[in-house]
Amino acid sequence: MASDDSLPTLKVLLIGPSGAGKSALLTRYCDDEFDPESSTATIGIDFKIKKLSVRGKAYRLTLFDTAGQERFRTLSTSFYRGAHGVLLVYDVSSRASFLTIDRWFDEAEANTVQGVALHLVGAKLDKAETGREVSYEEGQALADAHGALFCEASAKTRENVRKPFCDIVNQIVSTPGLLSGVNAGGRTSGTVAVVAFPFFCFVFLSL
Amino acid sequence: MESLGDTLWDIVICGTGLQQSLLALSLSRTGKKILHIDPNEYYGGPDAAFSLQEAEAWVDRHASISSGVFRSASITKPEGSAGLSFSRAYSLALTPQLIHARSKLLSQLVSSRAYKQVEFLAVGSFFTFKPSTDPEQKPTLARVPSTREDVAFETTLSLKAKRGLMKFLKFVLDFEGETQLAVWQPHANSPFNEFLQQEFKMDAELQKYIITLTLSLDGQMSTRDGLAIIYRHLTSMGFFGPGFAAVYPKWGGISEIAQVACRAGAVGGAVYMLGTGIKSQEISDNDIELQLTSGDKVKTKLLVQADDKTEGTFSISRLTAIVASPLKGLFESVVEGAPLPAVSVTAFPAGALQTEAGESYEYPVYVVAHSSDTGECPAGQSILYLSALTTPHSQDVLKKALESFLESVGDKQIPQRLFELHYEQGRGSVESKASGLIFTLPNVSPSLAFDDAALDPIKTAWGVVMGEDASNTEYMAFPDREHADEEMSDE
Repeated sequence: MASDDSLPTLKVLLIGPSGAGKSALLTRYCDDEFDPESSTATIGIDFKIKKLSVRGKAYRLTLFDTAGQERFRTLSTSFYRGAHGVLLVYDVSSRASFLTIDRWFDEAEANTVQGVALHLVGAKLDKAETGREVSYEEGQALADAHGALFCEASAKTRENVRKPFCDIVNQIVSTPGLLSGVNAGGRTSGTVAVVAFPFFCFVFLSL
Repeated sequence: MESLGDTLWDIVICGTGLQQSLLALSLSRTGKKILHIDPNEYYGGPDAAFSLQEAEAWVDRHASISSGVFRSASITKPEGSAGLSFSRAYSLALTPQLIHARSKLLSQLVSSRAYKQVEFLAVGSFFTFKPSTDPEQKPTLARVPSTREDVAFETTLSLKAKRGLMKFLKFVLDFEGETQLAVWQPHANSPFNEFLQQEFKMDAELQKYIITLTLSLDGQMSTRDGLAIIYRHLTSMGFFGPGFAAVYPKWGGISEIAQVACRAGAVGGAVYMLGTGIKSQEISDNDIELQLTSGDKVKTKLLVQADDKTEGTFSISRLTAIVASPLKGLFESVVEGAPLPAVSVTAFPAGALQTEAGESYEYPVYVVAHSSDTGECPAGQSILYLSALTTPHSQDVLKKALESFLESVGDKQIPQRLFELHYEQGRGSVESKASGLIFTLPNVSPSLAFDDAALDPIKTAWGVVMGEDASNTEYMAFPDREHADEEMSDE
C-alpha cells in the first residue's frame, strides 16, 4: 500500500456551536466509539486521520476538531487555511444551536477558498423522536441557501455517521481545481522544511 | 457548560502576541487550567496580520492615540480602490520579521510539534540600493554577496575587495575563537563599521553590504553585536537548504505562529476568549480576582500579561505598500537547487535618501518585499514593508524610499501603488517583571529579524507556572498528538 505521505491529503474541518456533537460524530466515525457521558469540551485531540478510498482512489483524510475554540467563537484564520471541506454541525434537538449556523457559514465562507465543499449536518438524530426542534426541511433549506450538502445523523445509533464524511470527500474530489488549488498538508512550491538539513555542513566547511 | 467563574485558574494569560501564545503552547501538555484572553478581536496583538478591512478598523483605532505600541496610523489609496482585490485576499503583517534558520524559535516549534501547522518560505536575496549617477539612468539594486560562492561569482567587486570580504566571512565563522577574539575584543564596544574599515580595510561600499546583512535600523551597532548578527546570518545560510539563511511563515509571518500556538493551547484544554480584557483586579494572598470586560469574574493563581508601555525614544516608522506588480526580479533563486524565495530585503544605506528639505537621512531604510507566494496578497501583486528609525522626517523619507525603490525595480513602467499603510511603532521595556502573582512579559522588540532574546522571558514565565515540576520537565518538547485510526476503509 502507498505510504502516508504519497496519498493526497484532504483537510476537512468540523465547526459549529459548542455541544452540537462534533466530537461525538468524529469519534464515532474514526474510532467507532461513543461515550454518552462525555459532554465536556474536547481535550487532547488536534486532528484525526482516516484513510479512505473513493471511486477506487485512496485519500488521507485529516479531520480537524475545533478544540473548544468555538465556545467563544475564537477559531483563528490559520485554523481554516488549506481546508478543502467544512462540516457544519448543529443539534437537531436545539433550536438555539441551529440559529447560530448562519454565522458559522459566514465565517467558513470568509476564511476558505471559493468552491470549498460545505456540508451541513444535523446531529443527535436519535433525539428527534422526542425532542426535535429543527425540522429536516429547515436544515435542507439552509444548506441549499449556502450551496451546501445536507444530512442528519446520530453518533449514538451510528445512523448516517459515515454519510457526511463520504459525501464531502466525494464533493471535494469532484470539484475541479479544489484539491490541486489548496494544497493542504502538502507543500506548495517554495515552502521549505525547517527540520535540519545536512547541506549546512557543506557550506560551513567550504567557507 | 461550567461558567468561567467556577474554576480557580492556574494561570490567566492576557494578550495573544507571540510571547503569550508560545507560553500557552509551552503549557499545553501540563493539564494546568489556563484561561487565555485578548482585548482585541483578533489573534496576535502587535504581531497580528490584517485583511484590508481589519487594517482599516485598526487604523481608525490608532490614528490619533498617543500611547501604546502603535500610533499615528493612516491609510492612503493612490488609485482609490481600483486594482485591489477583496479584503481577505490580503494579510498585512504589523511587525513582519524574518526568522533565521538557526533561531531557537524554529527549534522550539519543531520540538513542540507546532511547526507542522505552519508553512515556511525562503527569504532570498539581500540588496543594497544604488542611486543612479546619470540622470538618464534609473537607480539599481546590487545583490549582497553573503557566501563564499557568492563572493567568487560577484562581478562588480575588485579582486582586492573580494579577498577582504572572503577573509571577513571566514573570520566571523570563528569569531569566538582565541585568535579572532584578540582581534575584535579591543573594538567590542566601538562602531562596527569602524572595525570593518580598520581591521579588514573595507571601503564604504563593502561596509554597506555588511551593515545591510545586520538589518540594523540605526546603523550604529557595536562590533560585538555586529559580529554576532553576521555570525547568525552565515551559520543560518544553507541550514535548511541551499541558498537561504532565513524563513518567513506563510500567510502573515509571526501572526501565524501565534495562532498555531494558541490552537495548541486550546487542544491542551486552554479556554480562549477574544475581545475580552481585564477591567480591574483585586490581589489577595494566594490568588487574583479579575473583573473581565466580558462581565465575567474569574480567580487565578497567576496572571501573565504583556507590557504595552513604550519607553525611550527608539521607535520605527513603517510604511506597508501593496503594489500592482509581481516584482519577479526580487524573487529569483540564485543558487542551484534553492527554493524559490518569497521574501527579499533591500537596504538604502545611511545617507542614501534625502528629506524634503534636502537634508540627508542619517539612518538606513529597509524595504522587505513579499511576493504573493506568502499568501499576503493575490497573484500579480506584492507587498513592500518599509521601515526606518523615527525622526521628524522619517515618514517622508519612507515615501521617497518607496518611490526610488519602485523606480529601480520597474521595467519600462513604474509599478502602481494600490494601498499604503503608515504607522509608528514604539519600543517598550526589555526586562520581564515578576511581582507576586503577576508576571509581565517585555514588549515586542521591533527588529526586522526575530531576536531569540524574546524567548527567554517565556521560559521564565513557564518556570514560574511549573514551580517544582520545571526541573524534571523538558521545555517545549512534546511527542506527536495521537491521530487515532489509520486503517483504510472503502466507501
